[in-house]
Amino acid sequence: MSFWEYVGSRHAQLLADTFQHASAVFQCMVVATLAGVAIGVATYRSEWAGNLAVTAGATLLTIPSLALIGLLVPVTGLGVAPTVTALVLYGLLPIVRNAIVGLRGVDPALVDAAKGIGMSRAARLFRVELPLAWPPILTGIRVSTQMLMGIAAIAAYASGPGLGNEIFRGISSLGSVNALNQVLAGTLGIIVLALGFDAAYVLIGRLTIPRGIRA
Amino acid sequence: MSPADAPPPKGRRPPDELEVRGIPFRDETEAARAAEAVSERPVPARRITWQKFTVLPSVVALILLATWLWFRGARLDSIARNAIGGGNVWLRLEQHVHLTVVSTFFVLIIAIPLGVLLTRRPLRGAAPVAMAVANIGQATPAIGLLALLVIWLGIGTKAALIGIVVYAVLPVLANTIAGLRAIDPLLTEAARGIGMSPVGVLGRVELPLAVPLILAGVRTALVLNVGTATLAYFGGGGGLGDLIASGITNHRMPVLVLGSVLTVALALLVDWLASLAELLLRPRGLEGGD
Repeated sequence: MSFWEYVGSRHAQLLADTFQHASAVFQCMVVATLAGVAIGVATYRSEWAGNLAVTAGATLLTIPSLALIGLLVPVTGLGVAPTVTALVLYGLLPIVRNAIVGLRGVDPALVDAAKGIGMSRAARLFRVELPLAWPPILTGIRVSTQMLMGIAAIAAYASGPGLGNEIFRGISSLGSVNALNQVLAGTLGIIVLALGFDAAYVLIGRLTIPRGIRA
Repeated sequence: MSPADAPPPKGRRPPDELEVRGIPFRDETEAARAAEAVSERPVPARRITWQKFTVLPSVVALILLATWLWFRGARLDSIARNAIGGGNVWLRLEQHVHLTVVSTFFVLIIAIPLGVLLTRRPLRGAAPVAMAVANIGQATPAIGLLALLVIWLGIGTKAALIGIVVYAVLPVLANTIAGLRAIDPLLTEAARGIGMSPVGVLGRVELPLAVPLILAGVRTALVLNVGTATLAYFGGGGGLGDLIASGITNHRMPVLVLGSVLTVALALLVDWLASLAELLLRPRGLEGGD
């Protein structure tokens, strides 16, 4: 069976897996982004707390994903729970780091000017600091998403959702006619999803980065 | 505006900023305090502190000790004992270290010379192509790449090793190219101006300036490879992934936890060693710069 015949005959299953993969990554990214920016906002003012958050993040990032999932399984059981936990944890790290770097990079004179025209703490944060720190945060989101695409594939081994199932089905039936097709469909599907998300982020950047700081 | 409200964010602080701050809406004392805050912060010396030497290894030692204590008390049935008995744990650990070291070696001897080549004049045009390939490579899931190689080359250590190398070459290559490009062109021009040959410029100016970057590449490759080596099991390459995978498929939590903890400890130690190497081998003249 050629690859296209395989895709044609299994398109329902493949579409379902693709959708699950995309939706798992997307939902985890939403949670990771909100939590990551919140951690960044909470810690960037203190040298100590900010550096701790960055160091802790960098350390967690060195942990291989299969090992983290392996540590989560005894706690959460198999399936969606360890997948979501691992994805959110890994997704957090680049966002926290970039949020802290971005917020610290905002020119203090601008924040002072905002203070001078009577903006409250919250208004300064939401109308001055976060918009100025948005480009590095968005870069962090892009990096996270690319990483999560691959990690979600590995999480399928712990019965997680998505295209990784296709790849592992291929691995477990090595030598059979469809092994190559299954692995190829899963891998290409993830690449296409990752590139699609990346293109969406470029578009989001165009629409949301304030005109004044656009490169 | 209470004093507790908003201490000025640390970080890049333009030297003339104090005046801007002082003039319109600050009184004497506050300006003076801000000035103090600035002068109190000396340029941090990037030296090795004793914490760097001790914190991580002791944390890892504690984790391993706790796991060992827990493991002694855990009840093992015959399946679990089979999975970890007969020196299997040592064998897998050894395989894992072996995979990591060998693949890192190949990544470096491929990526760094290639990066140097792609920044030379005749080949400079190919660098954007390499960067674009590196970007797509990043979107490729490691497990899919490995599975494709196994189907192509057959099951075994060779396919696993090639998969690990291919996966890590692209990021290290992209880093090398970016770093060599970031070298101040004035420096290379000056070197050429005093009559150095292209090889001399490369060997005596560009490469020494690129040492921090190359060391960062070593660290990236090592950390990536420790992680990808856990997947080598699925290609028949062994490694600690074997313990994790058999723990998951057989539902034997002690095996799973042992494999995971060993992998985590190995990854943290490798990263720690690489970070020490980064600090120790960095040329003196480049300290302070990043």
